[in-house]
Amino acid sequence: MPIEVVLLFAWMLVIAFLAFIACTFEDLESDIGSQSNPNSQVQLAAQVGQINRFFNKAISGEPLSNAMYCVTAGTIAWILLMQLEPLVPGEEWKAAVLAIPIGVLGAVAINMIFSTTSHCGRTAAMKRFEQPIYLDVLYGHLIPIGAHAFMTTFCITWIAYIQSNIGTLAGNPALDHPFALPLLCFVWGITVGSIGSSTGDVHYGTEREFQDRPFGEGKRVVYHGKITRYASCGVRTQKDIAGFCAKFGGPCTGMTFGLIILFTNWTTLVGMQLGGFLPNLPAFTAIGDMAAIWTIVLGLLIVAALAVGNLIFVKWVRKKCGPFVGV
Amino acid sequence: MTVTPAVVEEEAPTKKGLSFKFPPEETEMGIIAGIIGAVIVIFTGLPAVIKGVGLILVLLWGMDSVRKTSKYGLGTGVPSIGVLSTGYGVVGALMGLAVAEYGRVGQLYPAVLLGVIVMGVIGLVSGAIANSEKFIAMKIPRLERGMMELGMAGTLAILLECSIVTGSLNFNAVVNQVMNTGIIALMFIFNCFAMLHPYNACLGADERRERTRMCGVEISGLVCVLLGFVQLALGTSPLWDSVSLIVFGAIIFAVFFWKFIKACMDECYETVGTGMIKTIE
Repeated sequence: MPIEVVLLFAWMLVIAFLAFIACTFEDLESDIGSQSNPNSQVQLAAQVGQINRFFNKAISGEPLSNAMYCVTAGTIAWILLMQLEPLVPGEEWKAAVLAIPIGVLGAVAINMIFSTTSHCGRTAAMKRFEQPIYLDVLYGHLIPIGAHAFMTTFCITWIAYIQSNIGTLAGNPALDHPFALPLLCFVWGITVGSIGSSTGDVHYGTEREFQDRPFGEGKRVVYHGKITRYASCGVRTQKDIAGFCAKFGGPCTGMTFGLIILFTNWTTLVGMQLGGFLPNLPAFTAIGDMAAIWTIVLGLLIVAALAVGNLIFVKWVRKKCGPFVGV
Repeated sequence: MTVTPAVVEEEAPTKKGLSFKFPPEETEMGIIAGIIGAVIVIFTGLPAVIKGVGLILVLLWGMDSVRKTSKYGLGTGVPSIGVLSTGYGVVGALMGLAVAEYGRVGQLYPAVLLGVIVMGVIGLVSGAIANSEKFIAMKIPRLERGMMELGMAGTLAILLECSIVTGSLNFNAVVNQVMNTGIIALMFIFNCFAMLHPYNACLGADERRERTRMCGVEISGLVCVLLGFVQLALGTSPLWDSVSLIVFGAIIFAVFFWKFIKACMDECYETVGTGMIKTIE
């Protein structure tokens, strides 16, 4: 196998690994700011009299806000790369090592600005429900939010950088991604936010304060907002939730995103290989159809295997963990 | 457990010097921002700072429209309304740019306003369809007007940003310097946020329009700073133009960020350093 093809597969694995890290931290960041988990409860709690010490990071849905951080990082990095790359001809990666962290720092600053405005704004709009602004909550959560967001945005920007230069890195510039760096950051930001928003919300999704109830039981309205008040020991804050979610929810989300990236890229590359597209792109012929057909067939096989695996797993879990109310 | 009554009459006395009262009313805001924005869009030779002022006005108008549209209990729909507006904006801007060459006089591009008008009409029609008994029947008061304004404000904002970055509204220049470089992603997402974030962040029973608008101006300032850096990197304008836009944006951002946070802390129930949560019997 030619070295270019091996390198393409190697970079694809690096991207999948970075995606795993990115989405793990994305989920934890949204937990610290209660952006998705449990934002509805934080919003509701004060209205039903449950005054709490939670940070209300209502920037928007996670997909959009992550797209914003990643686009900011990507744009700043792109601006710096344009200036720095001519200084190190032949070794452009050196420019990226400097440009990407600076871009990500800019994105983190913007994240913290938006977090501050949304927390203060939402709390001020809850005046009649007697929810005060606790300054220690405001200051104490900003740095953890920024730190986790740094990891997410950093990994995503690297993914976008590697993708937009994957051909050059593997030795064949014709295979570079056609999209520019900020646009790739946008796409990946939306994706990482969507996965983080939909997966791994183990704190609120399973209501850990109601663990003694049967699995799957609906919750009465009177419990709304309670999850924001007391922890196992003392008043609950989101740092506690991040610690809880870091054990399972975060890595689970990361694995979801990493597997999605791995499978999509792997099928594409294998399809290209089997269709005769690697290591050199031929001029457009019917051979291109073969690459797509191989990719789709492989993708369908993976989806079928995952569906069967899920079915078996859920059956096993229900058998092991007792009755599921509502079935 | 105490349950606070859901409806209490407005009684918040605003503190002096913290209210932001230009222009005071929604219709006036729309007219002023629309006219000034349209004039600044046409004259592409203006300095970037003036385009920045136009951008702030237009984004403020868009934010007002988002607020108007989302006020009737759309709840989690606020971000999607902002994105809808920018989606209209990108389509309208492309339409305007496609016909920009017609009737061009030097640096003047009056034809781009066609995109703004078409998007206004499309917004009006989609609002009417959404509200109409025969179709979706959402029956949201003033949705038609809100959607129309969303389309127009979104288009004007994207056109102004293209004009700031490229220094003209030439279709090829915009495609080369905005689309191919990926800067369109930055414009798209920050337009969305300048429109959706203020109302989304201030959502609640005691939301106040002036306070929400301060947040809107603050984010628009941030957009100006970012666009200034992009302009600097692309080198489409003289240095002083970009630097003045960055300085202008930074000042606007700093002043209104401070004002907004101050207003929130003054107007909320209580601002305390730390404290325990209220015990519920």
